[in-house]
Amino acid sequence: MYEELGGENFEIITVAQDTLGEEATAEWHEKSPLTYTTLIDTAHRVSSLYNLVNVPSGVWVDEEGNILRIDEGTYSEPIPFGNNVFVGTDDYRPAVRDWVMNGPKSRYVLTSNEVVAKIRRRTPDEALAEPTFKLGVYFFRQGNENLGRSYWEAAQALFPDSWNFHRQDWNLTEGLGGPKYREKRGDLGEKPYYRPFDFPGEP
Amino acid sequence: MRGIFVVLAAITLALSIPTDVFADSVTVLYDDQVVEIEDTLPDPNDLWVLPDDLPRVNGFELKPEGACLLELCVPVLQDRDSEMFVRRDGQGWFNVTALSRKLQQAYRLDHEHKVWSFGEIPVVRRAFLNSAIAPDFELPNREGELVRLSDFRGKKVLIVTWASW
Repeated sequence: MYEELGGENFEIITVAQDTLGEEATAEWHEKSPLTYTTLIDTAHRVSSLYNLVNVPSGVWVDEEGNILRIDEGTYSEPIPFGNNVFVGTDDYRPAVRDWVMNGPKSRYVLTSNEVVAKIRRRTPDEALAEPTFKLGVYFFRQGNENLGRSYWEAAQALFPDSWNFHRQDWNLTEGLGGPKYREKRGDLGEKPYYRPFDFPGEP
Repeated sequence: MRGIFVVLAAITLALSIPTDVFADSVTVLYDDQVVEIEDTLPDPNDLWVLPDDLPRVNGFELKPEGACLLELCVPVLQDRDSEMFVRRDGQGWFNVTALSRKLQQAYRLDHEHKVWSFGEIPVVRRAFLNSAIAPDFELPNREGELVRLSDFRGKKVLIVTWASW
């Protein structure tokens, strides 16, 4: 998509939020030669700033720095990693293309009030989960994995809806998609794993 | 005999003050930064730093009118001791965690390793929460160069978070 739309007027910034940084993501970078801007976010800073709770999540920002869409899974079902995984569904890509072509006239662009309504609000516990998770990241990177994990567990207890916290922990403790991950996903019931698209004309 | 103990206790106390005052180095986690702070006042519940260290700790600067970040200034009395500011041996100390409480900024301390971890400052996030202005951030790219979101002002930007997990 970047090759198609990128250039003077459009930039894709991918933010790799892996506590192990380059070490964890290098393999994916090699598989998917990235020509757009790729940033490394070991402490999940962008999720913290934008109140995001899962990956991949997309945010649209216009030329003046206004948010036009926020907090949507850029694919609705987990799919195997590979080339261009980040914007991999047929749902999301045309919407982005429409925005890049038509700017503010795109039917996918939300008003600031609509965006504000979509920003997740944090409870005091959920707000406390952020510095708690960061302590976990710090100690994990220091090599003190037991202490790091105990802070991650505390962060998960404070903010059970943050998939970022669960998945970072479980990935480093029991591997991708391990039993805890499957159990938690099974517990979801009616709750969506990603916030569903609410593009115009869709249910 | 009792008098000797009192004198000894007084001497011990007097000797302990200078070593205590500059004893504790701590680690602060704020934004994406890991900041080592050499000098703090010993206090199990609060983080007191030298005013010169304040910008490294949370971006604030202590000015005559108070602790300031961009257009925000929290008034701080500096001619007398208060919850936010004290003077010891002529040296001023600023209470970072008292400021956090005032701003409802979440924080957490690992006592054993003296690591203070701070969350986002709600008042700084008003533009995001109430007006959908994109919060700026600075992160390294794969070459280690720091890149800011605001570097792309004038372009449409699609931010996508992802992870190997």
